[in-house]
Amino acid sequence: MQRILAICWLTWKAALRFRLFLVIAALLIVAVIGLPLVIKDDGTAQGFTQIILTYTLSAITALLGFSTIWLSCGTLARDIEECQIQVLATKPIARWQIWLGKWLGIALLNAALLAISGACVYGLLMWRAAKLPPKVQQVLREEILVSRGSAKPSTQAADIENMTDEALKQNLKNHPVDNPKDVVEMRRQIREQVKATLQVVPPDYYKVWDVDLRKVKDSLQDKPLRLRIKFNTPIVGATTTFKVQWGIGQVEKPGWVSDVMDLSADTYHEFAIPANLLDSKGFLTINALNLNSTALLFPLDDGMEVLYPEGGFGMNFARALGIIFCWLTLMSAMGLMAASFLTFPVAAFFSMALMVVVLSSGTIAESVSNGTIAAGNDETGARGHSSSDLFLIPFFKGLLVVTGLVKNFSPVDALSSGRTITWGQLGLAFGQIVLLVGGFFVLVGMVLFNRRELATAQGNQ
Amino acid sequence: MPVSELISPSPAVAAGKAGEVVVSVRGLTKVFKDFWNRPKARAVDRVDFEVRRGEVFGLLGPNGSGKSTTVKLLLGLLNPTKGHIEVFGHSPRHVQTKSRIGYLPEESYLYRYLNSRETLDFFGNIFQLSKADRNSRSEQLLEMVGLGRTQMRPVGEFSKGMQRRIGLAQALINDPDLVILDEPTAGLDPIGCREVKDLIVALARRGKTVILSSHLLSDVEDVCDRVVIYYGGKIQAMGTLKELLAKPDTLRITTPVLPRETLAKVLEIIRRDLTTGEVRVDNPTQNLESYFLDVVQKARAAQETSGAQSGARVAAYLRGGVEAQPDSEKLLEKLSLPQPAARPAAAAAPAINVDETKLTALSQPATAPVAAEPAKSAEVKPEDLSKADEKLSSLLGGKK
Repeated sequence: MQRILAICWLTWKAALRFRLFLVIAALLIVAVIGLPLVIKDDGTAQGFTQIILTYTLSAITALLGFSTIWLSCGTLARDIEECQIQVLATKPIARWQIWLGKWLGIALLNAALLAISGACVYGLLMWRAAKLPPKVQQVLREEILVSRGSAKPSTQAADIENMTDEALKQNLKNHPVDNPKDVVEMRRQIREQVKATLQVVPPDYYKVWDVDLRKVKDSLQDKPLRLRIKFNTPIVGATTTFKVQWGIGQVEKPGWVSDVMDLSADTYHEFAIPANLLDSKGFLTINALNLNSTALLFPLDDGMEVLYPEGGFGMNFARALGIIFCWLTLMSAMGLMAASFLTFPVAAFFSMALMVVVLSSGTIAESVSNGTIAAGNDETGARGHSSSDLFLIPFFKGLLVVTGLVKNFSPVDALSSGRTITWGQLGLAFGQIVLLVGGFFVLVGMVLFNRRELATAQGNQ
Repeated sequence: MPVSELISPSPAVAAGKAGEVVVSVRGLTKVFKDFWNRPKARAVDRVDFEVRRGEVFGLLGPNGSGKSTTVKLLLGLLNPTKGHIEVFGHSPRHVQTKSRIGYLPEESYLYRYLNSRETLDFFGNIFQLSKADRNSRSEQLLEMVGLGRTQMRPVGEFSKGMQRRIGLAQALINDPDLVILDEPTAGLDPIGCREVKDLIVALARRGKTVILSSHLLSDVEDVCDRVVIYYGGKIQAMGTLKELLAKPDTLRITTPVLPRETLAKVLEIIRRDLTTGEVRVDNPTQNLESYFLDVVQKARAAQETSGAQSGARVAAYLRGGVEAQPDSEKLLEKLSLPQPAARPAAAAAPAINVDETKLTALSQPATAPVAAEPAKSAEVKPEDLSKADEKLSSLLGGKK
């Protein structure tokens, strides 16, 4: 351990002596303090706080991400190019220990920088919140500067598949189809129809959701809850509002709340609901009556959500930083892996390219969803086809699984909507991002570094 | 006089070929390849040699002959294309074996942002030395290499000579059993060169094995017991310096200045017994290194310098733990400091043919002012040297 810590100390020393640490820390502080001065918000305290959180944390992630890749590629590749590694590798230290020491050093450096910039963001938020009127402060502490648990109605995934299969069987019975590709397409369309029937609320119809809050039922006694909803309409770019009559709780039982609201489409709305509306089992029943002449569509995944107070903002903020730290640790493993077999500029370029692949997984997902990388014809509905689909689509599927392990965490979104990032989520992030994906890069990097001849470079000090 | 001539032969030489094999190289070949795996250069070609414990082994050859590649192969920094290397009976990549090795590369590849103290502390940590040991050894090493007063300056600001010195210090932080020095005197001033050579001999006295790669013939000649001469990646010659350099069919006799008549008689006797061959008589001269060191030694006594100090004293832990012996230290210092006049005829200038006028000149004592003092030193009796040698040997661990 003494050897690994010595390498770790060396990495810190380099960052301090080359003033890298000071420069990045200064840039982060400037970004945290400067961004709120130039960004525009919707005029509400909530909107402003959300924007501060989103912009500053995104800026911190981006800035530290790039510096991490730069530093991790540089710390190993330059040691090899400038031949210092030739002295170090002749000492009684295994190459994996050199690698691990550098990784640990960069991780600790990131932890320090993240802590400094995170403390600045937190301090700024608290300072600005303290200057607001008490009522606004109260709203802010209920909606954003809070850690709220979330419960959603069942997505009915199993029901959808069962209903789809049943409808497909019926359809094929009535209209037999020979081509298997057509069967697949038919199933896809039927599935969308089934989903629509579960999401759509036609005019003058109502929809009922039962949200399961049994696990937290006891802790929610006398605590007001909040409803976060979103719906879409068939009207593209609708600017008008839509009337919805909400009924919450058990109909005609004490505490039943009913109210009509004018709400805009395609955006999230959040409103308070009184305490103690759960039934004896711990379910909260929500009714929405569509009072408009057009249908409303409540998406299954994020159309309806119940938020309940769970903890303080400070710890939630720290957990969010923890997930960002996991990302940075992965980036440093990626950079070190690239530097294990490439020269400094090439390693940096390679790591950036990997980042771009992860960030562009939306395009990859679309190709996988279409089953081809070729463009289709929107007018005729004809799907594209490419001979490389045979190997590219399975490869993309695998890539999506891996990038999903890294990207399926949204600490900034969760913070800006005041939702809890649980310890479980943080642990999962650490397991998936650092141990699983990061571990792969660590393993590959160590093997490559171990096999590399370290004395082929000529010193260029 | 080179230190190697002041003291007795190193243990390996004394022990003959029975000593423990520290480095064994068999059929070693290294071919550098390009990106497409096509052979680019054959740097080392079917090389075989063994280095035994306590030996000072020289790798000699012109630039690009394969010396440094061999060193890097021995250290596991390069992988051999063919052949087998064992260092202390293990692969050069064996981590624990490396704790017995000290390496000074041909350039001082050190971390520029660390100062000399931090550099030694860092490498001490890699050797898992305790803090107390690191501090003590760093202190002694910095004194030894003459950087005691520049401990807080970043290594990147050092001159090349100072970088070599700190490089040498880091190579010795672990009191290694095998020291591999690649061009150790490159960039050093003559005093530094002399100190390095003194150190090499002192290490060999303690039974340490030294592999010295150099293209400077005088370095190798002064300290090495055995050498290999490389050219084109192949070993062209190998053996002890005596085996390689001795001329068994000629003889040199060195005496104090003789009266003209005596010299004439001696020559007459020699000529009477010789039927063929040439007889030469000349004044032995000291070499430039000895002369230079003598001048600097006098100047040093008169003034200070802001650059690297002359260490001139081997770190105590490298001498085998003899710190509390001030008298002994003085002796060691005396012995390791330049003794120019004691340099023997081995470094003599080219001989001249005998004729009467030169014979007259040669029979007169030399009158050059600077040469006067070395001539005085030359009067050191063999018995005195023998005593000093014994004392030094005991200081260095009693290994003869």
